[in-house]
Order: sequence, then structure tokens, then C-alpha cells
Amino acid sequence: MKKKSMWGIIIVVIVVIAAVVIYYATRPPKIEPGIVIGCPLSTAFLYGWDAERAITLAVEEINAAGGVNVAGKKRPFKVEVIDTRDLEPGVPVSEALLVVEKLILEKKADFIMGGPVRSEAALAAMDLLSKYKKVSILTTGVLTPKYHARVAKEYDKFKYCFRITGEAKWMVGGEIIPCLVDIGERFGVDRIFIMIQDVAHARGGGGLIAKIMAKKGWHVIGKPEIYPTGTTDFSMGLIKAKKEKAQVILIWMDMPETSILLKQWYDMKIPALPFGSIIAAAEQPGFWKATEGKGEYCLANVVNAGNAPSEATPWTMKFVKAYKKRWNIEPEGYGTSTSYMAPYVLKDAIERAGSLKPDAVIEALEKTDMVGVYGRIRFDPKSHQVVPSVDPEEGAVGTIFQWQAGKRVVVFPKKIAMGEIQLPPWMKK
Amino acid sequence: MDILIYGTINSMALALMALGFALVYGISRIPNFAHGALYVISGFVTWGFVRALGVNYLLSVFLTMIIIGVVGALIYRFILIRVRGMAISEIIASYAIGLAILEGLRWGGFKGMTYTLPVFVEGSVDIAEIPVDFHRLVVVGIGVAVVAFLWLFTHHTRIGLALRGMAQDERAALMLGIDSDLMAVVAMALGSMLAGLAAILLLPLGNIVVEAGYNVLILAIAVCIVGGLGSWMGAVLAAFLIGFAQILTVTYLGSHYQMVVALLAIIFTLILRPSGLFGQQKELEERV
Repeated sequence: MKKKSMWGIIIVVIVVIAAVVIYYATRPPKIEPGIVIGCPLSTAFLYGWDAERAITLAVEEINAAGGVNVAGKKRPFKVEVIDTRDLEPGVPVSEALLVVEKLILEKKADFIMGGPVRSEAALAAMDLLSKYKKVSILTTGVLTPKYHARVAKEYDKFKYCFRITGEAKWMVGGEIIPCLVDIGERFGVDRIFIMIQDVAHARGGGGLIAKIMAKKGWHVIGKPEIYPTGTTDFSMGLIKAKKEKAQVILIWMDMPETSILLKQWYDMKIPALPFGSIIAAAEQPGFWKATEGKGEYCLANVVNAGNAPSEATPWTMKFVKAYKKRWNIEPEGYGTSTSYMAPYVLKDAIERAGSLKPDAVIEALEKTDMVGVYGRIRFDPKSHQVVPSVDPEEGAVGTIFQWQAGKRVVVFPKKIAMGEIQLPPWMKK
Repeated sequence: MDILIYGTINSMALALMALGFALVYGISRIPNFAHGALYVISGFVTWGFVRALGVNYLLSVFLTMIIIGVVGALIYRFILIRVRGMAISEIIASYAIGLAILEGLRWGGFKGMTYTLPVFVEGSVDIAEIPVDFHRLVVVGIGVAVVAFLWLFTHHTRIGLALRGMAQDERAALMLGIDSDLMAVVAMALGSMLAGLAAILLLPLGNIVVEAGYNVLILAIAVCIVGGLGSWMGAVLAAFLIGFAQILTVTYLGSHYQMVVALLAIIFTLILRPSGLFGQQKELEERV
């Protein structure tokens, strides 16, 4: 009887041990919670949807490589996008603010990335980010220098706000003006006609360029021509440019109707080089086909390298190929390369901080120093603006390209140029 | 000379945008707030035939006109007929249809700046040293032809006369055996086809974007209010008034004020002559 009981106990013990072993061997691995990136983006517009695609691509790559190492635990990024519609005419700023708040409160975003895209909305959102202590990295749209000026002025309040893309002051002084001066010297031209959209950044930028170019000895024809958003006929302005013998037409517009302007310019054979300081329609790879080549010779500024193919850094073409493979199109314009880099920069900062706590991540972001798609990425520790440069080894470089034979050929800055600026045949003497 | 040439082109473009709206209101008294949406969807349908399916351009234009005419007729037959005679409901229903179409297109991925149509004729010509591209001349030519066709149609065909009868007095037309609902369907189909024609003529100058639907609606309303709601000939005259006023404004005041012209025209017309240049609304009110 005793022997029987003994065998019974042994069998029970073996079964229990086997059950425990099987349970631990087959139980699913413990999944660490994802790090939520909330993206308030105007997704119906280029500067919104390209940012969404680029952030998605970067996050997919990061997660495929194991995710983010937060103090020894691997955690994936999770992207939540809500459409702010802030680039659409007539949509009030408050809509974008509601989206930011929804991302923070309902979607439980740990970080905000991407937008809001319109400067006015982004400036208004700064107070919300401060209220909820959410670290944000702006990657697209917002060009106003006021953004980083506010951070520098009230650091303790707005220290949560970073911008990884360019801003208007550097863009004009560091890129557009030098490029225009180069065109003037190379082709012997000095008469500029300015056509801008009736929005704050274009009025400011166009006015500033007029002032600086006049000081540089150029003849600025009249005052900048201001067009309401949605204008569909630019013929009178172009006729004026022709009558006044303009040699460069500077365009600062983010509305889709700019393709009408370029088609009219081509059809009327206006003997002036179109230079898009901001010209959303001409940035996209599909522009050539859409205009049947009528946009050839148009110059377009896409703010950062990597938004058009170039060899700015070893990562640039790698990114261009990855984007094309994922979305079946080349990087599309302003906001693409910066939105791609932001998750990588955030990952790097979180891993160095070893925490998701805002103050730790802010400190780590301020110490960021990595070579990305568009050059060396560092933030000014006081203003949290990415440090710009015309040399990718020194800072974040911009890109001005020209449409030539169906391709976007980078012509500025010199260090990353892939070709030379050309004049349309009807301009040559 | 440049003011004369581009004033005429701009005016004809405005007339084309507004004719469909004016025609539908004139006959069925329905303010078709889906007019802008029908304009945009016509552009995308043509784009689909030409660019996506590779159908011959002329055939695509023909097919688009048929399709958009049928869409207009269906909108009336299945939706607007139920609220006919209730002015506020007509506005809400037609505006809701327009919103659904435009936002549906956006939701469906029709966004961006790369949807374009080819111009009918490439190249340009200098008229008195003013460069004008051939497509704009085609717009003017077809615009004139459309106005002439509408006049002939409404004065010399049975359906046209029936439509005029409806426009003048619906009750009297009913007593004469004219089917008012059928005529309203015809008017809606014709108005939609005119919106489609405007899109096919004007969109090759730029690109097809959803936002154009709202702009076209505003301009069509401005033209019709100035011309007199219900009078399509008034709309043509108003298009020339606003069109030339816009070009003069651009030349002498600045392009910035171009859009303000249409909006000011609405305000001044409503203050000074609410019935518009050729409208009959005021006179009818007085008669009552």
C-alpha cells in the first residue's frame, strides 16, 4: 500500500513539473507596450501625406529592427495619425488644436510628431504641448521663425517644442538669396518679378526677398504681386513681367493652382526663369507628367535634402530607394526626409535617456548629434531649431532643384549639387 | 489690348462656370448647390477615361458629358424631387450632395496636384503683341457656341420651349400638358452637362483639385445673383461684367483684390437691385 502511495506521489509530482515546464515553454512572450507617436497632419495635402508616409516608413524599419531600447526593454513605436485639415482654406486653427488634444488625451500619445502643418496652428499648439508636457518634433510645413524664437524666449514653458526641418529666415538668407545671386552672376540677369500667395509666410518671405535683392543691386519690378488662395489665372501678372522685362520670376505659393501659373508661363513663353521659393505643385515627382513637361526649367526649393534624389550623405539615396520601394514614388517634397528622420532621432534620444520622461528626453534631444538623410542633425539647445548649413558635414542642408528633361536635378547647395542651372531656350539671346 | 483679350477670356470662363447653375434655377427653381461638385467630378471622370483607361480624348469628353448628365438627372429624380418647393430643404439637400461628392473624392484618395487633363490645342499666338495660348481661344470659341446653342435650343425646339414655359409659369405650363417633373429632370441633366463642359474646357488650364468645387460654386452664385437668378442670359452678361471688373482690378489695384470683386458684386447687387440685372423675383413679389 505504502509502495503504491509512493508511486502515486511521484507521478503527481512529475505531472505537475511537466505542466509547469510546458506552460513556461509555450506561453507567449510578454509584449512591452508601444510608444505612441501622435501625428497631427493635414493629410489631404502634400506636406501632410508625405510626412505620414515617411514617419510610417521609419517606424516600420525601427520596429522591424527590434524597436526602441528603453532602459533594457525593447518597445515598438506605434503611429496614430489624425487629419488636422489646417492647410485647407477656411479651416480654423482651433480644429488643429482639437486634434492635438485628442491625440494626447484619447490616443494617449507619448510624443507628438509632424505638425500641425500651418504656422499659425503650430504656434497655437505650443501652449497645449506645454500644458500637457508632451515633447513634440515638428517635421513639416511650419516655416515661421517665430516658432523657435518663442522657445528661446520662454525656454521653461516651451522646451517641449523641437523643429527638425528648416525655417524661413535661414531659407531666404542662407539658400534662396545665394542661389539667386549665383544665377545673376552666371547668366548676367538682375531683374526680378515677385508673385506670392496671400498667406502670412509668403507675404513675409516675398517681401524680405524683395528688400534683400534690391540691396544686392537687383532691379525689383514693382511690389510683389499678391494672389488670393485659389487664383486660377495669372496671365495679367505674367504679361506685366514680360512688359517690364523681368528675367527671374520668384514664386512663393503653396496652393495647387501654381501649376496653372507654370503652364501659362510656358504657353506664353515668358522670357524669365521661374524660381519657386515655395512652389508645392512643382515639388512632386508627378509634376512633370501632370504638366506634360511644361514645368521644365522651373526651380523649386524643397527645404531639406533627401526630398529629391541627391548624394548629400550616404543615407540619402538609401532613404530615396526605401521610400520608393515602400510607396512606389520618390520622396515627394518638403517634409518627407525630415519626417523620416524624426522617429530615428527620437529613438536615439529615448535610448540615451533610458526613459520616456519628458525632461530626460528633452535633455537627450538637445544633445543629438547624428548624420542623417540631410546632413548632420543637431538642435540648437536654446531654441530647439535644427542647426542649418550648406555643408552636410556641418548641419542640416537644404535643396533647390530644377526640372530638367523630366528629372528633379539638385542645383543648390553646391556641396550636394547634381547638375547646373539651365535657362529655357526662349530666354537665350 | 491685354485687358480686352484676357477680360474676354476670363468672362467666358465665368459664364461657362455659371450657365449650368443659372439654367437649373431658371427652370426648376432649385438652387443646385452641388454644381461645384458636379464640375469637379466631371474633371475626375474625364481624367479616368483619358489617363487611367487611355480612351480617346474626344470620346472621353462625350462619355463624361453623358455620365454627368445622367448623374444630374438621378440626383433630381431620387433626392431633390422629394424636397421640391421647400426652398431651405432644397438648399440643404443639394449642398449635402455636393459635400458628399467632394469629401468622398478626397476620402477616396483624389488629392494632390497631379491630376491634369491635356489641353485641346498646344501652342500660343501673339494677338497685338499679347501672347495667348490656343486653348484659351478654344474656351472663348466654345463658350460663344454654347450660348448660341442654348438660345436656339430654348427658342426653336419643343423641349426648349417647354423648358421656357416652365421657367415663365409652372402652373400655366402644367395646364398646357407640360410634365413639370420631367422638365426639371431635363433641366438638371442639362445643367449638370454644362457644369461638365465647363470642367472639361477649364481644367486643362490647371489641375483637378477637390477645392475647385467650392470656388466654382461661389463664382457661379456671384454671377447668377448679379445677372438675376433664373435668367441665363443675365448670367452671361453678369459674367462679362464681373470678368472685366476682375481683370481691371488686377491691372489697376492688384491681383490681391481679384476675388473680392465677385464678393462685392454679390453684396452691392443684393443692396441695390436684389433681383439682379435680369431677374424677375422682385417684380413677382411686388405683383403679389
